[in-house]
Formats: sequence, structure tokens, C-alpha cells
Amino acid sequence: MHASPVYELSCTLNSGCDCMRTLRYMVEAMSMRAGLNTIQTNRMLVAVDELFANISKHGYHGREGMIEMRADLQDHRLRFEFRDYAPPIADRHELRGREVDDVQPGGIGLRLIQAIMDEIHHSTMDDGNHWVLIKHLSEGDECDT
Amino acid sequence: MNVTLEMTETALGNAGVRLSVSGDINIHTAMQLRKQLKTLLDPKHEEVRVDLSGVDFMDSAGIATLVEGLQWSQDSGGRFTLSGLTDNVRDIFTLAKLDTVFDIREDHASDA
Repeated sequence: MHASPVYELSCTLNSGCDCMRTLRYMVEAMSMRAGLNTIQTNRMLVAVDELFANISKHGYHGREGMIEMRADLQDHRLRFEFRDYAPPIADRHELRGREVDDVQPGGIGLRLIQAIMDEIHHSTMDDGNHWVLIKHLSEGDECDT
Repeated sequence: MNVTLEMTETALGNAGVRLSVSGDINIHTAMQLRKQLKTLLDPKHEEVRVDLSGVDFMDSAGIATLVEGLQWSQDSGGRFTLSGLTDNVRDIFTLAKLDTVFDIREDHASDA
């Protein structure tokens, strides 16, 4: 049995910068490789943008800090991995989005990530946090243009 | 990629105003929209309509700003409407389950 080849991209970003251009490039490159359509690609970009913004805002509190990002595509799975060096988030309540019927300006970002991605993983490390967003690709996803 | 928003105000019939927005609305630009909305959400405007036909990307910072606009408008008894949503933006509103919270019109800035 042969595993499908891994296609991956990685970069190191500064949380204090507007990195949208870099994030978009990486997400669009991976999405194109995965055969996602425009709407699906935009969803991936939103999820990645939201996680990056959350780390910048709540992890580094707006200060500059390093965020390592890696994206890979393998076995019908698109995976975005982030590593930050902000204080570890121990309280999982901080990771929750708002309930659907709670219409308030805050908490929408996590709700979007949860709606878009199939798996969201967070683990604390001695010197930061490790985040993984995974989207499982169906054959329909990969055939769309 | 735009790091600033282009915003244009035009009168909208009786005591209404349309704010046409172009660019990406994200954590870096949402504050510009917030400031502009705050100046428009005045009791003299019975309706504030935000035309988003020039916006192809919006994240939660943009949506949160519009939720604030909706709340400000409700507090002052005015109407707050959205129009010209692109497919990408409409999809994000739907994912956030906020497409039914806003009054979303199908018209564009070229309509009267």
C-alpha cells in the first residue's frame, strides 16, 4: 500500500505584522493543490486567519511574537499547524466560541473555525502552544474547480 | 492586498445613508469601518445601509463590527441593513449563523 505524497509549505511569521498576504499565499497554494473551489479556499483562509489573529490578540496580547506555520496535504487531509511561544493556554474555556443564539461581537472567530474545520487540536508546551486545524477532503471537494 | 478600506457615503432616499465599502475587512481594517459607522449611526439617519459589493474577504473582526453597528442602530431606533454581499462574504455570514440576524438586501449601490 502506497501513501500519497506529502505536499507541504512552512514559514515563520511575526504576530505583530499584517501577514494576510503570506497566509493567503500559503492557503491558496495548498487549496489549489487540494482542488478546492473558491468558496472552500476562502473558508480555509478564514480559519487560518482567525487562528493567527487569536494567537496575536490573546496569546501575545498584541505584542510581537513568533508564530511558526506549517501546512501539509496528504491522504485527503489538509492540515494547518501553528506553533507559538506565547504563555500556554491552560484553561480550555478560553478556546470556546459563543453559542449560536448569543449574538455578540466577541467569540465569532472560534465559532467560524469550528464551523469550517473538521478537527481542532490544541496542546500546551513548556514554552508556548501547538495548534492543529484539519480539514478532511471528500472526493467531491477535490473534484470541484 | 488592501490594508486600508475605501469607504464612500451616499444619500439613500429619505433620511438614509449608504456606506459603500471596498477592500478586505479583517483585524487590521475593521477599526476603520467601526469609526465610520459610528459617525453614521446618528438618529437623523433612519437607515444605514452598508454596501459590501466591494468586499471579497471578511473575517470575524468585520462581522463583529457589523454586529456592533446593528446593536447601535437598534438602540437608536434606526434600521441597519446590508447589501451586495459577495459569495465569499455571504458564505461566512451563513457559517457564523448570522445571515438571519441581519437584514440583508439583494440590491447594489447602482440601485436607487
